[in-house]
Amino acid sequence: MKDYFSFFAALLCLCRFSLANESGEQIIQQVNDNLNVENSHSISQMTIITTSGNTRTFVFESWSKDNGEKTLICYREPTRVKGQATLMLNNADDIWMYFPRTQRVRKLATHAKKQKMEGSDFSYEDMGGGDAFINDFVAKRLDDEEMQGCDCYKLELTRKPDGDVSYSRLVMWVIKENYYPIVIDYYDEDDRQRLHKRLTQSEIKVIDGIPTAHKAVMHDKNDNTQTQIEMLQVRYLVDVPDDMFTERSLKK
Amino acid sequence: MREKILRRLADLHAQHPWRMLIFVSLLTILFMIFAGQLTTTMRVSDLMPEKHPRVVAFNKVIDEFAAATNLTVVVQGDEHRIKAFADALAPRILSLVDSSQNEKWRQEIAALDKKLARLDAHDTEKQADIVQEIRQKQRRLDFKLFQRVDYKTDTEFFKDHMLMLIKAGDLNNTKELFMDPNLVGLIRNLNNSMEKEYVGQQQSISTREKEDGAVAFIGGIENLIETLQLSMDDHVTPNAAQKAADKLLFGEPYMLSYDRSALVMIGIPHFTIMDRDLLLIAAVQVQELVDDMLQEFPDVSAGLTGSIAREHDEQVYAEQSFSYSTIIAFVFILFILVFSFRMWVAPLFAMATLFIGVIWAMGAAWLAVQQLNMMTAMMAVILLGLGIDFAIHFVASFTERRAAGDTIDASLEHTFLKSVKGIITGALTTACAFLTLMISETRGMRELGIVIGVGLLAILLATVLVLPIMLVLRERRIDKKIALCKKTRKKRDISFRFLGRLAEHFSGSYAFTLGFALVITAILIWSALQIKYDHNMMNIEPKGLQSIALQDTVLEKFDLSLESSLILANSVQESRELAEKSKDKSSVALVSDISAYLPTPREQAERAPHIMEIKTAMHRATVRQDIAPTRLPLLIDELDRLETNIIEMQDMAFLGGQDKVDNACKTIVGDPENPDAVSRVQQLIAEIENASNAAPLLSQFQRFFAPYFKNTVLRMSTTDPITLSDLPVSVLDQYSNKTREKFLVTVYPAGPLWEDKEFLERFNADLDRVSQRATGSAPLFTALISIFARDGRNAVLLTVMLVFALLWIDFRKPQYALLAMIPLAAGIFWMVGLMNLVGMQFNFVNLIGLPLIIGIGIDDGVHLMHRWKIEGHGHMRTVFAGTGKAILLTSLTTMFAFGSLIFSAFRGWASFGAALTIGVGACFLTSIIFLPGVMGFLERKVVHQPEKVREVEEIEA
Repeated sequence: MKDYFSFFAALLCLCRFSLANESGEQIIQQVNDNLNVENSHSISQMTIITTSGNTRTFVFESWSKDNGEKTLICYREPTRVKGQATLMLNNADDIWMYFPRTQRVRKLATHAKKQKMEGSDFSYEDMGGGDAFINDFVAKRLDDEEMQGCDCYKLELTRKPDGDVSYSRLVMWVIKENYYPIVIDYYDEDDRQRLHKRLTQSEIKVIDGIPTAHKAVMHDKNDNTQTQIEMLQVRYLVDVPDDMFTERSLKK
Repeated sequence: MREKILRRLADLHAQHPWRMLIFVSLLTILFMIFAGQLTTTMRVSDLMPEKHPRVVAFNKVIDEFAAATNLTVVVQGDEHRIKAFADALAPRILSLVDSSQNEKWRQEIAALDKKLARLDAHDTEKQADIVQEIRQKQRRLDFKLFQRVDYKTDTEFFKDHMLMLIKAGDLNNTKELFMDPNLVGLIRNLNNSMEKEYVGQQQSISTREKEDGAVAFIGGIENLIETLQLSMDDHVTPNAAQKAADKLLFGEPYMLSYDRSALVMIGIPHFTIMDRDLLLIAAVQVQELVDDMLQEFPDVSAGLTGSIAREHDEQVYAEQSFSYSTIIAFVFILFILVFSFRMWVAPLFAMATLFIGVIWAMGAAWLAVQQLNMMTAMMAVILLGLGIDFAIHFVASFTERRAAGDTIDASLEHTFLKSVKGIITGALTTACAFLTLMISETRGMRELGIVIGVGLLAILLATVLVLPIMLVLRERRIDKKIALCKKTRKKRDISFRFLGRLAEHFSGSYAFTLGFALVITAILIWSALQIKYDHNMMNIEPKGLQSIALQDTVLEKFDLSLESSLILANSVQESRELAEKSKDKSSVALVSDISAYLPTPREQAERAPHIMEIKTAMHRATVRQDIAPTRLPLLIDELDRLETNIIEMQDMAFLGGQDKVDNACKTIVGDPENPDAVSRVQQLIAEIENASNAAPLLSQFQRFFAPYFKNTVLRMSTTDPITLSDLPVSVLDQYSNKTREKFLVTVYPAGPLWEDKEFLERFNADLDRVSQRATGSAPLFTALISIFARDGRNAVLLTVMLVFALLWIDFRKPQYALLAMIPLAAGIFWMVGLMNLVGMQFNFVNLIGLPLIIGIGIDDGVHLMHRWKIEGHGHMRTVFAGTGKAILLTSLTTMFAFGSLIFSAFRGWASFGAALTIGVGACFLTSIIFLPGVMGFLERKVVHQPEKVREVEEIEA
């Protein structure tokens, strides 16, 4: 019996040891898995700063499918944008927009994904999901740190030579408990030392078994502006039909 | 030696006061002439080290680029009225001349002519020099002040080369726009182009430059619709139709704000900002012109800003503030002196001496630095506060001896030998503290040290040369009166006995006193550590200055800061590269440089085929004289489509937070949030549908519009390469120097520079990445702050060391030097702590107060220590009643002098005055609280520790 317990204790220690020694690649894979959920449906509220310095708040409903490869965003508030919709396919490589006032659908060019989305500090690339953390960056684990009161892994993601992203590197603090990135620092495309943006996520709750931040603030250090997105409602175990992600469905 | 000189001086005054009076009068006249030459400058660059690369670059820009000096008129009101106002004002500005100095120039020319006539005929070199000089002076006769007024675009150049200035990609997307001059075809092409843009250029309205482009484009469409509506009312003229074509092709020619309620006119002078006289004359003359014009345009408002107006306003305000503060300080000091000495004459003599001393100091300042800057301009007030102390001590000593019954000669000799020695030591200590600033790298601080240090010495000289004369002459008169009336002199005790009683109490309960003082000090140290630094340079500027307020108007209406930065390029190519690098930076809103007018040969080659395509299409296009009624439904469809495109653009802009584009679209399609808003496109459609004669009315428009549009596009379609020599003078003057060898890149920040420290740092960091040669207010100010901080730290350290060394020499024991410095050390913390408590922040002007307070605040402790040593144990009451009164008086006069600056319109000076008023007050308080406590403690120690008696007695001896 004593030996039995010793064996279990040893196994437990081994498990802990292997977790503690996870490589950057392993951690980022877990993060990627966490973020890329098969399907999702959410209602969010986004606040932006306009070019005149005023704040403007939008409420939008979004559906995502195939680990974020397809995304549809429908604006609900304010009344002026109600029904306006954006469809992003191929991880935001192709973007369409629907205008209810004119009832027309327009296509935006592919390289818009690096541009700011709807006046926010998020780019389409930031919103599009996909496997960018795995495909476009090389992850390196740095010394663990506490961030916002959470015990975190600290990772440095350096852009691969062929990486199609607008940041030279990212520094990410990942909560050890659930592999959720609580803070991500985005560094300038041309200057590795220059912090461009910082994403801070909070109010993390487990929804349908998946940790989810209900509040995300993107602070653009260059423009000194920030955009806040609050998740009002989110579900992952939802059936999202394929035909939602078509030009025709945008009008519905 | 020193005694011999002082005795001789006393003798001279006592025996020959009239001779001395003549001597000092001559000296005063001489220094008054010197002082009259002093000028002031309020430029930040004049505070920087002269050889700093950013200052060198800035001065080079000022010297070589006419456009670097400007006078901007901001006109506000209804769009049509402000345009009319500008059209009327521009030629009047151009006709302004300065004839005020014609007489002077004529005299100088006549003198040179005479000199030329006297010259040896073979001395050709000298002759040529004089002829050259005569020509220069002749140019100053009826000097034309302005060379150009920029307020609308020079469209002639664009009419020849516009298409060559459009990027190949944009030409490809928009070329349809230029292929059909007829109304229906044109609107169809507009629609095609707008729809194409969404596909090909996703970034169409995502950056400031693109946003501006979109606003200009929508402005052109709005004007077209407005002109079509005019046509439907049968009011169209050829001029209106041609303007509509021009606006569609080239955008708004006037420099209008986004909401079209403001217009700027930029006057480029024939002089630079360094020509102080012309600058002031030009600002006054333009202001008079504007005021006259406003009588004709009562519904319009207009004011001046730009470098000339700002420099003018700052100089005028500086001089006014300087005068007000000096008068206020004079009155307050006189009042204190009269109150404390309880007589009128001696204080008036002291003030007269001070007045003469300040004249000498200003004369000396001209000899030393020629020009006062933002920091040294307040020299008179500082000198009043510090210099009066010398006279106070002199008068006190002399009147004391006279009251004691000494003769005039004996009193004067006693004063020279006993008081003047102390005055000289005190003056030298304070002057040395200021002169340590000479080690500063910044010109502002270095000159402040020189001007005040030398100024104090000048006042010291005035005190020992002028004051005795007045006192001797007055005392002789009184003696004569007394002899005639056989009266005796009244004796008065004018010491402050309450201070003595207070100090005795503090000294008696030294433990409580020191404990209490330490608790207060700890609280104020905590408060001092909370104080913030105000980076907003605008907060040191005068409040309510029109030129400053209008800068905010320009920022608000044009979304553009006038605080641009400048980079000097050595070629067009370098200018292009610098501009491209700058545009990439997120902290940059706009970049303006010559390369926008001079595409590279490769770019021109890329654009040429598109231009040829446009040219060919336009050649082939037939100008239709009429619009057939059968084509009206087609026109209406295209107008509907145009409205749809603008609505989509508006919705995209709203979602993207692009307010300017959204607002521009509202003027055409209405505000979707306002149910009463109307779409001008729909209005036009309704007018066309409802009018039975729509076709002929629109045909008339087409007859005016189409041929002009076609010809203009054909003229624009030239593929001849653009070279530097093709550019209009207005463009060349704006971007290149007189020899066309250097080029200026102007970089406008994307945010408020002064209100957001982080943004300022980012903007400067971005500029540094673009070029280390970047200059202008942001880089200059940031460099100034960092050099100031270094200078300030060095000055503080050196002053502390110097003061400690002087005190050590004076007291002969380092521990006594340290003791005298206790009130100063605590006083500095009290000063900063109190500043924080009253809501003040440090800025780069009041920060200079810190090294200065060391030199000023040390005096109280030194005087009290000296007196304590002289009086010996148990005479705390005498020490503080006598010397306490003196330091209270000198502190009050200094506080009132600095305090008078609080009334200054320059908020930087006001905060400097407030900081030093608090500082001097704090040092006085710490001196009368800490020192009695420490002295009481030392005296008790002597009683309880007999072994130390000898040491203390020795020191006291």
